[in-house]
Amino acid sequence: MSDAPVIYVVDDDRDLGASVARLLRRQGFAAEPFLDPAILLPVYADAPAHCIVTDVMMGDIDGFAFADRIRAVDPAAAIIFMTAWPTTANAVDSVRRYGGLDYLEKPIDEARLIAAVTEGVAWSIRRRAARDRTAKLTPRERQVLDLLAEGHPNKVVADRLGLSTKTVEDHRAAVLAKTGANGLAALIALARG
Amino acid sequence: MGTAGRGKAASVNIHSASLVADRLDVPTDRPAVRAAGVLALYALGFALTHGAASAWGGAGYYSLWFPAAGLRLALLWRMGAVWTLPLCAIELAVDFATGAVPMTGSDALIGWLGVVRPVLAYGGTVWLVRRLMPQDKTRGIAALAAPMPFAVASVAAPLIAALFTVPQAMLRGDLTGVVTAREIGLSIAAFTVGDVLGALLIAPPVLWVADRLSGRAHGPLPRPRPGPVAESIAALVLGAVAGETLGWLGLGSQSAPSLISVAWIGLRFGRVPAWFALLAVCAMLLPQTAGAMDTPARLQFHLGLASVVVAGYLAGSFHDAQRRARADLARRDRLLFQADRLKTLRAMSVAVIHEISQPLSTLAIEAKHLHELTVSADPETAATAALIDRKAAHLSDLVRRLRRYGGRAVDEPSALPLANLIESVGALAASEVQAAGARLAVTAPDPALAVMAQEVELAQAVVNLIRNAVQACGPDGEIALSANAEAGKAIILVTNRCAANAPAHAGMGVGTLVARAIVEAHGGRLTIVRDGADVRAVVTLPLIGAEA
Repeated sequence: MSDAPVIYVVDDDRDLGASVARLLRRQGFAAEPFLDPAILLPVYADAPAHCIVTDVMMGDIDGFAFADRIRAVDPAAAIIFMTAWPTTANAVDSVRRYGGLDYLEKPIDEARLIAAVTEGVAWSIRRRAARDRTAKLTPRERQVLDLLAEGHPNKVVADRLGLSTKTVEDHRAAVLAKTGANGLAALIALARG
Repeated sequence: MGTAGRGKAASVNIHSASLVADRLDVPTDRPAVRAAGVLALYALGFALTHGAASAWGGAGYYSLWFPAAGLRLALLWRMGAVWTLPLCAIELAVDFATGAVPMTGSDALIGWLGVVRPVLAYGGTVWLVRRLMPQDKTRGIAALAAPMPFAVASVAAPLIAALFTVPQAMLRGDLTGVVTAREIGLSIAAFTVGDVLGALLIAPPVLWVADRLSGRAHGPLPRPRPGPVAESIAALVLGAVAGETLGWLGLGSQSAPSLISVAWIGLRFGRVPAWFALLAVCAMLLPQTAGAMDTPARLQFHLGLASVVVAGYLAGSFHDAQRRARADLARRDRLLFQADRLKTLRAMSVAVIHEISQPLSTLAIEAKHLHELTVSADPETAATAALIDRKAAHLSDLVRRLRRYGGRAVDEPSALPLANLIESVGALAASEVQAAGARLAVTAPDPALAVMAQEVELAQAVVNLIRNAVQACGPDGEIALSANAEAGKAIILVTNRCAANAPAHAGMGVGTLVARAIVEAHGGRLTIVRDGADVRAVVTLPLIGAEA
């Protein structure tokens, strides 16, 4: 179970946090409950999660502030909000502003929670892989990749960056080699991932 | 909503219009025919009262007691000033037919004007009073509350009509035999007195009868109570004796004691007793002044009588207006109090839902897990775990449903389809009804029907009615919930039929009172109808258009 997806459950209700974590463990996730975001944040960088399930209304750091701080450390963690005070405004914000994957209302709908967590884990794994592959690129190679992903031909990319077409082709070959992508479609997926 | 919904709303309106016509006892639902019926009735009444008044006639005026004025005022007040011109035509026609006014001749036109003039004055007064005293917007001020505007119109219309006669009396006084300034003055005074007496004695009962027939006024007839009746009679007798005594002392015919008597009765008991007192006074005095009596003496007599009538009727109207204003204030106080309490209740319930949903989340998750773990355990354990799981899931569902109520902008009334209301009320009440061993049958209404309402409060009201029905019947009660439209009103119906051996709980608890307050705050009415074993709670609310 050592390579099971890592899930952190953050809720200031100790029983509920533990209960949700146990539920997710039964589904095969490596789930850990946390009582307070303040405990999790300092250690998060050393042990990042695939998915974080967090309450919205908590003590000093609320769920949205917590999500912002996690994003700063790890853009590849999926975040799912849950709340006992659902409002339409919060539901929209949680998805649009805080990049939440879902907004669950307590009492939790179990099936929906599991589906959301499963989806979040898959998204996180894809995103991590893409980031790993583009991590080795030089800044110039990254610029070339971004422009290619926008659909520009080599000649346009060369004009934009003030390079020769030959140099752009070299960079493109280097990007393909470093990331293992095998064509333009794969490059686009990478640049967006 | 689509065009089908609109069509439905239109047909409902037509239906309600014909219903009003039915209630007016007019044998058709076409407004033109109804109007013709009203005018024909007026013509008949005008001819009869006009003829009856001639006994109190004299030089320079028609009569010192003119009941036709009361008919005219009642009709204009009830139907509106737009009826002025039709009434002019009717009165002209009647006067032509009876020969009171010549149809042709050199001065025929001036005669016609004399007929039309008072009608125009009455119509104008009614229009003006209605405009200056909007009856609904100034509630709470006794001087302007109903029935004060009518009382003011009844006094003002004769005065204005009398003033209208001045120009003709100045220019062509010879036509009616008034030439000198004194004669003109006498003529105006006589005219005013006759119309005031007619208006105040005839118009109120005519309006009362019209309201009764049209269904505008309802409820049981008021019964005279012995106390007020005795007091009123005593006041009248005292006034009459004092008046006679003053006459015996050589002070002439004095109306002051009678005036004080009727003002006392009016201020103490209101319009209706005041009117009966006025009727009694007039019944005693009018026969004495009919026929042979010289004009100044009769006019003096009638002036006194007119002041008695005006004072009595104004006093009675003021009493009623004040009572109405007080009732309005009390009603508003009650509604405010109720609204305040509902607001607190709502805030509390939102907080309670939150507090429950937190532990319930844990409970539901663990119960489901326990259920899954014990599927293959011994049947007793498995059944218990399954039951706990099911109840926790049900409770979670209920909390989520309840929360959907609290989350909305609940303070603003919005267009609420009855179908939605009935559905959520049915869901909310189902478990409670089941727990009590009763049955609830819910009939879904037409989805096009909608009312303007605060959903939470209205749902609360209907749930209260169902709860009441459950308590009244005990186990085996059969409760039905339905809604429909009737005569432009939305009707929500909670019916319960108790089993024959049901315990007899008298069911008018706090829940019903709250329900009534909510319904009335929505501009509706709640009535409880008992019919043998059946008890029906009927909520009537204003229906809004299907497209709203």
